[in-house]
Amino acid sequence: MSFSFPYLKYALGNLTKKTSCDMYPVVKKEAAAHYRGRIAYDSTKCVNCGMCMKVCSPGAITRTEEPVEGGKQITYRFDLTSCTFCAMCQDFCSEKAITLTGDYEMVGRAEELVTEETYFKAMPAGLPGISDDCVFCGLCAKNCPEEAITVDRPNKSWTVDEDKCIKCGKCVSKCPKKCLSFQMPQVKCGEGCVFCGLCAKNCPEEAITVDRPNKSWTVDTDKCVLCGKCVSKCPKKCLKL
Amino acid sequence: MEILFAILRILFFPGLLFVAVGGLLLSGIDRKVLSRMQRRVGPPIVQPFYDFFKLMGKETIIPHHANRTVYLWAPVVGMVSLAVTMLFIPICGFSAFSGTADLLVVLYLLTIPAVCLIVGGSASGSPFAGVGISREMVAMMSYELPLVLVLLSVARQVGSLSLQDIAAYQAANGCLLFHWSMIPAALAMLLVIPAEAGCHPFDVAEAETEICEGPLAEYSGAPLGVFKLNHAMKLFVLTALFCALFLGGITSGIAPVDVLIVFALCAVVMIVCVTLLHGICARLRVEQVFKFYWTVVTGLALVSLILAWFGL
Amino acid sequence: MFKKLIAESAAKSPWVYHINTGSCNGCDIELVAAVTPRFDAERFGVKLAGTPRHADIVVVTGPVTAQSKERLIRTLEQVPEPRVIVAMGSCPNSCNVFKNSYAVEGPLDKYCHVDVTIAGCTPKPEAVLAGIVQAAEILKQKRRDMAK
Repeated sequence: MSFSFPYLKYALGNLTKKTSCDMYPVVKKEAAAHYRGRIAYDSTKCVNCGMCMKVCSPGAITRTEEPVEGGKQITYRFDLTSCTFCAMCQDFCSEKAITLTGDYEMVGRAEELVTEETYFKAMPAGLPGISDDCVFCGLCAKNCPEEAITVDRPNKSWTVDEDKCIKCGKCVSKCPKKCLSFQMPQVKCGEGCVFCGLCAKNCPEEAITVDRPNKSWTVDTDKCVLCGKCVSKCPKKCLKL
Repeated sequence: MEILFAILRILFFPGLLFVAVGGLLLSGIDRKVLSRMQRRVGPPIVQPFYDFFKLMGKETIIPHHANRTVYLWAPVVGMVSLAVTMLFIPICGFSAFSGTADLLVVLYLLTIPAVCLIVGGSASGSPFAGVGISREMVAMMSYELPLVLVLLSVARQVGSLSLQDIAAYQAANGCLLFHWSMIPAALAMLLVIPAEAGCHPFDVAEAETEICEGPLAEYSGAPLGVFKLNHAMKLFVLTALFCALFLGGITSGIAPVDVLIVFALCAVVMIVCVTLLHGICARLRVEQVFKFYWTVVTGLALVSLILAWFGL
Repeated sequence: MFKKLIAESAAKSPWVYHINTGSCNGCDIELVAAVTPRFDAERFGVKLAGTPRHADIVVVTGPVTAQSKERLIRTLEQVPEPRVIVAMGSCPNSCNVFKNSYAVEGPLDKYCHVDVTIAGCTPKPEAVLAGIVQAAEILKQKRRDMAK
């Protein structure tokens, strides 16, 4: 049996030393830099692309879309009790609407531990439209429940009544030539534009180019996600979807 | 009148209430000092009181296989025997009961709490308790021998088995701790205290990290609270016994101050032999405890006994 | 008065028992970190209990795997009232990334009432302390309700 007490000097020495305790609830402590804590979600920045949900491995993010007049009520719900705090949603958010803050004190009942925000997104009114492949067979008009489409085969004309169309998409699905598609609306610059360039600055996808000296305004429809940000930011209210 | 006084002594001073409060305070000091040794803030000194009252308010679960009566009464018997032990231990020369051979009575009474732990544990019918009680028995066997030798050497030195006489001898001739032939016995006694009280390096029976607190594995609520109280009381009784055996004769003449002095001495003894050992040692294995007590501690006690025998 | 004393004591001496139901060990380590000198849960009277019979607070980590389900239920049954169940980390609350796995039968609230949830993967030891402090308050409330 051998006796050695390596901790004796520490035990006695520590009696006179200050404690190494953080005194947590009394002294609140900041989390370390880049700590990934409670999710903060800024709905005013969100464009509803859904990327965060796609990259979330535990499926902690859910979206509910409630159609209301003129658009949708979109709710993003981040379930903190399901989150792995990997920050993939933050990295993938093009709008920087999601941030993982340094707040680590996520304690309480499970239903309280949720980050949820709702915002209204105006839905642009889209209409079906034809392309050059159309043979004017008239199947679309036959299948239209509201009789909004008129096809005049001899004159090769195709029209849709904007007031009657309910955007059900039946015509598109019945089209044998696949020439029908919903023509998504475009951002248009109307009367009164002063080419200030605020729209271009606020476009998340950099789809708008404004050339002030030449007074030209162009939008790249391939890039545009119809988020409506430019419209809301336009000071002259000349932009329209 | 005599009987009324005796009952008051048993219930309040220096009996049950005094030992309970003193013991809980001592174990509070133990936890506080230990946490300071580990550079922690630690619980408040009254923490053992909180623990005790909380356990009083918890549901008491009686296991299916348990023997109900023995299971519930074992801790109470242990508590009573500890309170009675305190009546024989002189505090500054004063003890409630005294006889010609108190040392032997104290020796027997001190084994009862350990036996109660064994009986209660075996009544609970848990396999963890089974392992725990076999370990407790080994621990008992290992520390009883040196304890007897220590008490014998003190008795031989004083020439009496009465604690009252030991106190009187020390009042006349100074503390036995500073008598050179008694120093090995005092050291042996210091090492017996943590084993007897079931404190850390020697708590083989209640090893909560390996066998779920052994005999206490099935206990919950009030009986567990009483067992925890027993543990604290044992700490106080044993340190008070040490003070009576080796640090007697320190008095100021005023009774309340004397009690405080004895309590302070108990706290110092406990910090040296219980807290410090807890802070610096890891738990020993069963056979290590046995070997340690039957070689080192028994050896120390024997040295004292032989020296005292030859009147040195 | 005695009842009040017991209720006060219940909040000041929460003994913690920890069950791992298939956790990745992250939460277990952070729970142990909370009793180290730096965080020192013993300031609140916390002691790690060796058996469920001594526990006041049961901290559950892990997504309740099929193997641990039976044991979890048996262990929770052995905890005397008043008791508080704390679900620590994302796994016991929602099974985290193990949702819909054949080996996982969580979340925990299928089997018992979860009083306090500590979110995080893993929670910081500070969050664990905050959870234990909150659990102690609930313990006091439960003791009061029990005495009535």
